[in-house]
Formats: sequence, structure tokens, C-alpha cells
Amino acid sequence: MIGRPKAALARCAVLATLTAAALPGSAASQSYWVYVAAESEDEVALLRYDAGGDLVVEKTITTGWLAAEIEAPHGLAVDPAGEFWYLTLGHGFPNGRLVKYATVADTVVGVADLGLFPATIAVPPHGTVALAVNANFHGDHVPSTVTIVDLETMFPIADVVTCTMPHGSRFSADGSKHYSACMMDNQLVEIDGATLDVSRRLDLVTNEPAHAPMDGHMAMAPSAAENCSPTWTTPHPDGKSVFVPCNKGDLILEIDLDDWRITRRIEAPGAPYNLDLTPDGSKLVATLKGGARVGVWDVATGELLHLVDSLMRVTHGVVATPDGRYAIVTVEGIGGDPGTVEVIDLESGARVASAHMGKQAGGIALWKMES
Amino acid sequence: MRTTKTIRMAALLGALAVLGTEGIAAQEVARVEVTPATLSLEVGEKAQLSAEAFDADGNAIDVPFLYFSRGGRGRLAVDRATGEIEAFKGGEYEVMARVLGPTRISGTMMVTVAFPAIDRVEISEGGGRFYTGVTIRHKATVIDRADDVRDVAVTWSSSDESVATVDRFGVFSALAPGDVTLSATAEGVVGHIAYEVADNPVTSMAVEASQARGRTGDVIHFTATASDAGGGAVGDIPVTFGLIADPDKVATADIPPAEVDAMGRFVAYKPGVYTVTASVPGTTSHATVEILPRHVTEEVTLVGHAPVRNVSTSDLWVWEGVDGRDYAITGTHSGHGSTYWWDVTDPASPVLTDSLLVDARTTNDVKVSEDGEICVISREGASNRRNGIVIVDCTDPRNIEIISTYDDELTGGVHNLFIYQDHVYAVNNGTRFDVISIAEPATPHRVGRFELDTPGHAIHDIWIVDGIAYTSNWSDGVVVIDVGGGDKGGSPENPVEIARFADIGGATHAAFPYQSPTGKFYIFMGDEIGAPGFDGQEADRTPQFMSGYIHVVDFTDPENPEEVARYEIPEAGSHNMWIDDDRLYAAFYQGGLRVLDISGELKGNLYHQGREIAVYKSYDPDGVVANAPFTWGPQIHKGNLFFAEYFSGMWAVKLQPRRTLIP
Repeated sequence: MIGRPKAALARCAVLATLTAAALPGSAASQSYWVYVAAESEDEVALLRYDAGGDLVVEKTITTGWLAAEIEAPHGLAVDPAGEFWYLTLGHGFPNGRLVKYATVADTVVGVADLGLFPATIAVPPHGTVALAVNANFHGDHVPSTVTIVDLETMFPIADVVTCTMPHGSRFSADGSKHYSACMMDNQLVEIDGATLDVSRRLDLVTNEPAHAPMDGHMAMAPSAAENCSPTWTTPHPDGKSVFVPCNKGDLILEIDLDDWRITRRIEAPGAPYNLDLTPDGSKLVATLKGGARVGVWDVATGELLHLVDSLMRVTHGVVATPDGRYAIVTVEGIGGDPGTVEVIDLESGARVASAHMGKQAGGIALWKMES
Repeated sequence: MRTTKTIRMAALLGALAVLGTEGIAAQEVARVEVTPATLSLEVGEKAQLSAEAFDADGNAIDVPFLYFSRGGRGRLAVDRATGEIEAFKGGEYEVMARVLGPTRISGTMMVTVAFPAIDRVEISEGGGRFYTGVTIRHKATVIDRADDVRDVAVTWSSSDESVATVDRFGVFSALAPGDVTLSATAEGVVGHIAYEVADNPVTSMAVEASQARGRTGDVIHFTATASDAGGGAVGDIPVTFGLIADPDKVATADIPPAEVDAMGRFVAYKPGVYTVTASVPGTTSHATVEILPRHVTEEVTLVGHAPVRNVSTSDLWVWEGVDGRDYAITGTHSGHGSTYWWDVTDPASPVLTDSLLVDARTTNDVKVSEDGEICVISREGASNRRNGIVIVDCTDPRNIEIISTYDDELTGGVHNLFIYQDHVYAVNNGTRFDVISIAEPATPHRVGRFELDTPGHAIHDIWIVDGIAYTSNWSDGVVVIDVGGGDKGGSPENPVEIARFADIGGATHAAFPYQSPTGKFYIFMGDEIGAPGFDGQEADRTPQFMSGYIHVVDFTDPENPEEVARYEIPEAGSHNMWIDDDRLYAAFYQGGLRVLDISGELKGNLYHQGREIAVYKSYDPDGVVANAPFTWGPQIHKGNLFFAEYFSGMWAVKLQPRRTLIP
């Protein structure tokens, strides 16, 4: 660990108190429901984990327009009210789509056109819009966009140009800011939640505010020694920082949102890919895609608490449960490996349940927690 | 039961309160007003909208809004954050102000943008010399000063109704010799077209058929000659062709037994006697032809089956190896990245000779170089997302070895490819094809690429014959590209477009060129259209369904391609195809393998013309899905017809003449 978070301990104490008051007790009878996309199977699995019990695939929902083509379901989000879930389909003709499902029966209720290979999506706490990052994995390293979709009408309102191969779309806890990372430009991009325009950029290599990548110019990859290739963003629930993994730097960066600078670098060997924080902000969980592991850190101290081997290779997505007890992790596998979903007890670091599903389990979204 | 919704909201509100974060809390909003409620603008004018939110007691709440107009895209610009609007084209548009907060309440207002004055009226026909008695319909296109095509009433008129009349549909009837101007008026703006009407000189008609007897599916040309009193031909009078049909068998509500087009091209679907009439005002003639059954069906005999039952099979390629034996390679789909090599020298007993597992889920396309030494495999679903292609030494298909891989900027996944003269043409999922030199297969490198410039372009497949590439581009149709064999100066390094054609379906998935002995050059364009998988299909249990058909386009004149025929199987969709010796071998997914006689000129729906030589549906009770034909792609090789079945591997059949007598 390099550096120290600003007032991190105090913030976490506040949030811990808050969460204890707001959340129910840690009853063992909690059930957690997640949607997980199988990118190489064109299906989405709905899984349920009963604390202390098994992880079960409750339902498999096929998706896509062409049975004979893989359309690559990738990003998932559930609206705050839990009534709908949203799925990006990466491959289209050529653009991908955002599909809106009703959770009551997992039926399609709306579709919106997106850009080239949309990846992750984020829905703010108010649930009005979705921001989908058009990762454009098709090869040309040119600036891409974030599509803003009105979720009531499923109308794509605008495409905001951000950077090359944007990924890791996430809103701050209060919905006032949106963050995404630029895998090929090494930038963190902030979009104002009210205007939905780009408000700031940070160069994650130089640690200086950045300008928009020049349109029409191929992104030039920095040298390996200084490359970050950020793949995700996770704002801290206190609204004061955002965490970004350097997939090629084996680091997780903490960016202070007041200073708009990197203030901490957490070592995360194994190509960190996706992140999540427990709702109280005390634990940081990262999938280590190259190492087929999951790492759990103490946010206040930066200490690595657990390093958990996964059953399969290529760990991908992660969500922390609303009570902060578990991390639910997706594992892609390779080739014919089944996709895998694993449940990690964040206190003990033990994998307590797992289940197989369709190939290349990736995007994950928590639907609900029931007692 | 307490759910996450409750938990999340409590936590969020608590966090906002404790931390003092400025949030977007609009849960109290009961009503939104947008002012002005209505607005009238001229094109080019701007205005500012303002939205305000109120709670149930009528108190204003300060919340941000998101402004947009679904119907205004490209016509009314709306600044999503400020609510400023600018009118580009006339019309009525609803503008919505959505509260960016936890409510689904929004406000709306209506903007009426006055349509600008009409700029011009364009008439479809060209005018010129016309004969008495002739009628022709005209269409008018009305365009305003914002360059917007307008749907407004058009009034037609003739400058001299004693010379010619025109009705409200623009149908123009020439009555007497003289000069006349036809006018189409829209909101005071007039479009004109001038005619010189002359006496109809035709006193006799003759019509001649290119053949007196034919078979169903044969295209017979009827040539009409109109002559004046002196026996001179009148070549500039429009001739109308008609049809009197007398099919041998008449069934209620059957398809029309034959058709004839405006060029006098006739084709019959049913045997019978058909009379084609050719008319000019006041004169008619006719010719009659006899149509017999086509009688082309053949028997299909199963030769062999190379079963693949653990994973779905994709494309195949069959070739004669360097050792003189015959081999096949088959890819896999949505599986584990495997590819299989088979010895098919005895197609009745295919022998698996080797296999290869690469980091992929789908090895959709497999191709072999002309010399039979290099196999190239496409990759999708690689764990590192780099995908690309795998170049394999298949000189000895019993001991294949990877020579190299190439994935630079092919990260979207290579779905289809073609090998031509030491180059791999790789379709990168999405937008373009890359040309990769494999002259030194250990060091492949990109030498060129080609991409369309149309909005939303997407490419799916490529096929190359004689240095001409035929690419399939969904809504952009087929694009013909010179990669070294054309006269456009193209090369692998610099592909140059020759021509393109988009059909009405907009779902071009595969294309195959065919030089017919008739002198016609056709391109067969196959759709791929699917039923959405949203309705609960279970992939392991339920056969899947596709639709779409093959469009036949006459590309003899590449500057003026014409779609002349279709091959449409009811309740089945087209996939890959192969053409050899006047026969189309077409995979039609759940419709199985179809063999079609494409000899002669082509016109109409070939399915109904008795041209189907054979249909074969392979049923494998142990397939990935049992007994579910889902035919992927065929290839003819040394008289055997090999084809890939998605659920059951590779099959080989043989066609032979029917042994039953045909009357």
C-alpha cells in the first residue's frame, strides 16, 4: 500500500453506524438473489443463495434475436425498486442493445439501441436513466461513447463521447456522479448526474487532469511499465473517493474526488478486473482475472484480508451483498468450462457455495435480499 | 419479508442525511409542469423550456430534469440539461422533462414547428413523346425549404384536357395530338412535365414467345412488336402484357399459376397452357405456350455420418489433401473451442483423424488453402477476448499443428473468413474485413482492410472467386469488391468496391456468385432472420427456428443489378450455400438440406416451380437436440454432398436419378 486514505477510518465508522441502524440484523436466514449473464451462451441465470445453504440456479432466461448467433449478454443492472432488470447485448448489426425485463416474470418489456459492443451499465439510485458504456471491442482504438437511456420510455437520449474502450459504468451512491474507465486511454471519466455531461477526466498514469482523447486518432498504448488499462470504477458510498483497478498494473487506485488525484495505490497482483465495496464501505472486493482469485481488502488500512482461489479460471464480476456478509463472484471459465458463480464469506474468506451455469459467466447484478 | 429495495432506500436516505451529500431526492414529486405548455416556432428558431416540480401540496421542489423528445430526433434539437430547443424541420413534437430522481413522473409540452414553404415538386416520369390512348401513372414528391419530404395533398392538372387528362392519382391519359403540360401542385408550388402527344400510329401487333413449350420455372420471353400502317415498327409506345392462364389442375386458393412482368418475361409455376397478351391502345395480340412439369427430382441416399454429439457443429470444408486422400474439417459453435479433422476418402465411414482445442467458445468458420496445406480457424469467445484466427499446418490431417495465431485488432471475434492466394480475409465481428498475409504462415500480418462508410454498417461473411470478394452486410446487402481480379485496380492491400445491392429484407448473411451458362451472372443473397430467443425456448430440448430466404440478383450489369427471383421455404430460414454445375445446395436450418435446379434464366419464386431436386433432413436421435435438423452449410466434393448439421455433426449424402418412371 502506498499512501493513506483521507479520514478513511472516520468515514467508515460513520457508515458502519449508519448501516447497522439501517439494515436488519445478520440473521442466518437471509436469501440473496442475483442475475448473472452467460456471455457465450446467450442466457441469463437467476440464482438464489440461502445463507449457510446452497447456491441454486432458479431459472435460466434465454436472450437474443438470432438463435444461431451469439449476441453476448454482458452488463446487468437492477432498478432500485427491483421491478425491472436491464441487460446489454454486445453483438448486434453492429450495434448492441439494452433490453429491459420485468422481474416478475423475466419477460422483455422494452429495448433500446446502444453503440458498439456495450458492456457495463449503471442505473442511479433514482432509477430514471441507464448509462451504458459502449466498449467497442471491435478493434479500432477510437473514442467511443456512453449512451444515456431513459428507462421509462427506453429512448436513447444521447451518446456522450468519453474515450477509447470505456468500461466499468457506475454511479455514486447518491446518483450525483457517474464514473467510467477508459481501458485504452488510461482515464477515469466523471459524468455529472444532473447534466449528464462529462465533468472531469483524470489521467491514471500521470495522475493529472486530462483532456478528451483526440477524435480520429488511435489511442497509443503507453509503455507496459506505466500502463494501467483501467477496467472498472467503484465509488465509495461516502461519496469522497472512487476505486479503479489497473488491470495491467496489478494495482487498485483510490482517487480522491475533492483533489481529483490518486491518493492511494493498493497492490492487487493478478490483473484486477471488477470491484465492489460492501455497503458500509469497509471492505473492497476485487476479481483478479489473471490469477483466478478474488481479493478482499480492508478499505481503512489497505490490508489484504483474504485471497480466495476460484474453482475455475477468469474471475469476472462481483457484487457485495447489501448486508456486507458475502461477495458473489462470477467466473467465466475458458473454452468449454461452465460459467461459475461463487459465494465468498467476507468475514472468513471462505468460499461457502458455488454453482455452475452457462458459459462465460460475467455480468452480475443483485436483485434482492430477503429475510 | 423485507427486501433489498427497503434496505437500499433506508441506507441511501440515511447516508444523505448523515453525510450531508447533495442528493437528488425527488420522491415527493407529485406533478411536473413544463412551460410553456405549448409553443410555436419557425424552422431555425430556438426557445427555452423550463420545468418545475411540485409536491402534493403544490410546493415547488428543486430537482434536476432531463429533457428529450422521442419524435423529434433529427428534427428538433433538445438540450437535455438546459431544455433549450431548436427547430430544424416542421411538425408537432412532444418534449418530455423527466425528473432525475426516484419518481417516474415527468412533464410534457408540445412544440409546433411551422412547416416551411414548399420548395419544389418533383414528378416521377420524364415526359417526352406520348401517343393517344396511352395511360401512365405519375407520382409527385413534395419537398419543403427545410429539405423535408412532405406528405401534403397534390393536385394534378393538364394544360389542355382536349389533349390529355390526368386524374387525382396522377394517371395521365393521352387523348389527342398536341403539346400538353402536366402539373402537380402542392401549396401553390407547381411541378411540371411536358409531353408531345401524337396520334397512335399502331395498326397491328405481333407477339412472339422465345419458346413454344417449356417447363415450370423456365423463363420465356415474349417480344411484342407494334407496327404502323406502313409496316414500320413503333418502338416507343408502351406495351402492356397480360396473362390468360389455364393450368392443368386448379385448386382453390392456390398460388397464381404463372406470372408475366412488364418486360414480357414469363414464368409458370403450374403445368398448363398459357396465353400472354400484348396490348397497345386499340390493338392486342397474343401468343400461347405449353408448360410441362419440370421433373428434376432425384433420390437422396445417405452415405455417411461423422457424428459430433457433445457440441454444436458450425462450418465445414472438404478438400483433397496433399496425400491425395480426402479430408474434412468441422468447426464448433457455443462449445469449448474444438475443431475436428476427418478422413472422408470413404465418405461412408468418416474417420476422425485429429482435433484441436483452442481458447475459444466458437470456431465458427474453418477454411483450407488452395494447396491443402494450411487450415485457418476463426475464434470467438476467447478468454482473453483477443480472438482472431488460428493458422494450422494441416498437411498431415492426422498430425495437425498450430503454426501461429493472429489477433491484432480482431478482438471483436472473427466470425467468418476466406483464404485466397496466401491471404486470409477475416470478418471481424462488426464492421469490416481485414486482409492478413499468410505467405509466411509463421508470421502473419495485416496488409489491408475494407469497411463500408454507411451509417450503422455491419458485415457478416465473405466469399472470393477469381479475385472478386462478395461480402454480406446485413442491411447494406451484398458488396462486390475487387481484391485483385477485377478491373478497378483492387488488390489485397487495397480492396476497391465494384458494386453493391441491398434487398428489401435487410438481412444479408451469406452470398454466393454464380456464372450461369445462359450468360447471366447471378449473386444468391441469403437472409438470416431469427425468432427472438426471449420466449422461453430451451436450447437443450427445443429445436430452434429461423426464417428468411435467398434473394437471386442478376448482376450481369453490375451498374444495374436487378433482383429477379427468390427461393423461399415456408417455415424455414436460409443459411449457408454452395453452387456447382447449375445446382444450388442450400442449408435451410430446420428446413434441412435443399438442392435446387438453377439451370436457365431465373425468375419468380423458385420454390414453387418444381425446381427442387432434393430435400434431406437428417435426424439423429442422439444429437445435441434429438431428431432436430438444423442444417448449417453444404459443400459438394467429388460427387458427394457433405453438410454440417448444427446438432449432430457432418453428414454425407449422394444424389442419383429416380428409379421410378416419370410419365
